[in-house]
Amino acid sequence: MRMLTCEEVLANLSNYFDGECSAELRAQLEDHISKCRRCRVVFDSTGKMLKILVDVEPFEVPLVVSARLYSRLQKVLSEE
Amino acid sequence: MTEASQGRKPEDAAEEDLRLIERVLGGDRQAFEALVRSHERRVFRVTLAVLGQVEDAEDAMQETFIKAYRHLKQFRRESRFTTWLTRIAVNEALQRRQSRKDYLPLDESSSAQQQKFPRRFEPWAADPENLYTKQELRELVEKAIRSLSGIYREALILCDVEGMSAKEAAEVLGVNVAALKSRLLRARLMMRDALSASLEQSRPLARRVVDTAAEVKNMMGMMVMRVARRQG
Repeated sequence: MRMLTCEEVLANLSNYFDGECSAELRAQLEDHISKCRRCRVVFDSTGKMLKILVDVEPFEVPLVVSARLYSRLQKVLSEE
Repeated sequence: MTEASQGRKPEDAAEEDLRLIERVLGGDRQAFEALVRSHERRVFRVTLAVLGQVEDAEDAMQETFIKAYRHLKQFRRESRFTTWLTRIAVNEALQRRQSRKDYLPLDESSSAQQQKFPRRFEPWAADPENLYTKQELRELVEKAIRSLSGIYREALILCDVEGMSAKEAAEVLGVNVAALKSRLLRARLMMRDALSASLEQSRPLARRVVDTAAEVKNMMGMMVMRVARRQG
């Protein structure tokens, strides 16, 4: 199995996490990651970041913004 | 509230949407309010991702729901309501962005913000979500997202927060899939770097040292004052 370069590994970071790489490419990526500390750190932290992005549910609607939305909708809907 | 915060599976949420839509089409306005409640956060997040400012996102969100109400009959059940609504929200936000007097399309090839390579290589904590409360972590994430330019921010939100595929996100944003994927990769690298400062293994220790130093300084100040008071 050919050892990928760090640049090739990085170029496939999204494909790896989005499940868009073949079994062969996945094996090559994982082989490189197991041997290269820097790429391992990047992949590990990217995986953690993607999980955090979903878990924290960023950007709540401010209460005043929400209140104004319902007020406007009520007005518009009653005129329809 | 979002589907996730309501603890519903996406397919259950989609079925509930369809039931509500039937009721709205039958003249039940309250059902539309229920529909808005379950999607307002997503629509706000998407319009904010494109526009960057809360005031603009608010206007775009209001228009999105008004348009959705007026065109609900045109909703074809081939796609999920969420996807249909997100498309309206993105279009509304993009139109507003393009009509801004100060809007300058970002030239990706010469953008100062473009980042092709990671910059930080310290391992993250084993469970970074344990280092902070959910609210603290959310604030860190929001700050990092705000630091991204619009084209990176919208790619990240649509794909990594809203769960769209690169193909779906490219379609709603009106760009080709290759361009979307390139933006998404850079957005992820920039986000990772931006969050690294707070989530690396070594940082909590450094933070503790700084906090402890501040506490010691505080205590010493209080002791000096006490001694001075006694002597006085």
